[in-house]
Amino acid sequence: MTEERLTCQQLEEVYELYALGSLEAAERDEIEAHLTHGCTHCKQGVADAMALNAMVLSFVPEVVPPRELKHRVLAAIGYERPGWFWAGALAASLMLIVALWLGIQEREHYSELADARRDVINITADRDRLNQALLFLSDPETTPVSFGRGQQAPPRGYVFLHPQLGVMLIASNLPPAGEGKAYEMWVIPKGGAPRPAGLFQSDGTRALHVLGGPVDVATLGVVAVTLEPAAGSAAPTTTPIIAAQVARS
Amino acid sequence: MRVLKLLPFALAFGILQVVLRLPNDGDLIRRLKAREPKAMAELYDRYGRIAYSVVLRVVHNPSVAEDLVQETFIRVWNRMESFDAERGALGPWVLTVARNRAIDYLRSVDGRMQAGAVELEKLERPGFFADMGAQALSMDRVRRVKSAFEKLNPNQKTVIEMAYYEGMSQTEVAEKLKQPLGTVKTWTRAALKILRDELGEAAIA
Ligand SMILES: [Zn+2]
Repeated sequence: MTEERLTCQQLEEVYELYALGSLEAAERDEIEAHLTHGCTHCKQGVADAMALNAMVLSFVPEVVPPRELKHRVLAAIGYERPGWFWAGALAASLMLIVALWLGIQEREHYSELADARRDVINITADRDRLNQALLFLSDPETTPVSFGRGQQAPPRGYVFLHPQLGVMLIASNLPPAGEGKAYEMWVIPKGGAPRPAGLFQSDGTRALHVLGGPVDVATLGVVAVTLEPAAGSAAPTTTPIIAAQVARS
Repeated sequence: MRVLKLLPFALAFGILQVVLRLPNDGDLIRRLKAREPKAMAELYDRYGRIAYSVVLRVVHNPSVAEDLVQETFIRVWNRMESFDAERGALGPWVLTVARNRAIDYLRSVDGRMQAGAVELEKLERPGFFADMGAQALSMDRVRRVKSAFEKLNPNQKTVIEMAYYEGMSQTEVAEKLKQPLGTVKTWTRAALKILRDELGEAAIA
């Protein structure tokens, strides 16, 4: 970071790069601080830069997307009922988004992603749940919380919280529950007793489970998973295999 | 399984119209805000093709591009609430979200700029697209900027494309081109000034 502050005129040179997210941290922070202080000249300059950037983007050679893409988009918002083919496409899209979430910290490799897609297509036959999961992952109000990070064998993954949509769990390294058993998720309010949040199975690699909302995210403390009889239990009977601390500080 | 092959289309001037604020975009925005699914079909008809073209240009993989376009439209659908129906420029917003999803994907696959994802999300907030006057996106301006863009010298064009379609920082561009950072900055700033000046010229005219 330079000692002197940049002037509006100097900042003008980098509005477009700022709008593209291509500035180095020091310059970016400077322009942001400047905008926060309410410089209307630069605020308009950045808006113009956004317009210019969009124009430049529009200069790409045009390519016609496959016709199915429109149906996929409409299926994803629940306008068209997806057929089995679309369920597969939605799963693919879902896993891409999951990988992007994970990629921020874990740099998932694309070949791993291909395996993950196959797994999820296999385990998530329920297309409504897929749609729901997709909405979760694309909504700005969703908060991800990781668990099991840095451990070798135990399950790892993410809990996604959303005030209206509920709680979604995605776990890897989760062994099959076994004959006559099931995994049961629990939501545990801060200082409260565990509440049952549904049963699910794992195919041995990955599992996905959604508790439909709404949920009071502010009072949630922990999301846990225990192994229970296939019919489920009213309260946990075994030690949690997953315990994600979701309490907000 | 996929019968349709991609049909490369010549860059027609019609495409430019797509980015402009269409006269009835305001109405479309209001219907999208009311979560009318049919409006989503119209949104896709207007901007699906250009969004796909941009994303494909970035990721060079049709199946990944489809996923990212799907994510783009879901994102737009989910964030419509805070979009300004009177002043918002819908086309530029959709294009920006599409480009950013693609860059985010590219960076995560390459393991580049880890902190960048949050950054890109911030830069596609609907508020940024509320202050683009209709005249900022007029056909006249787009024409001028396009012809200026075509006249950039090869170095200028390269650094611009690396920033727009590969999401590289100036340092990354310098490393890739094996050029001093100062040189890359000069090329980039000169190129942007040429484009920006056209935008300004048209404004005065
Ligand atoms: Zn300023």
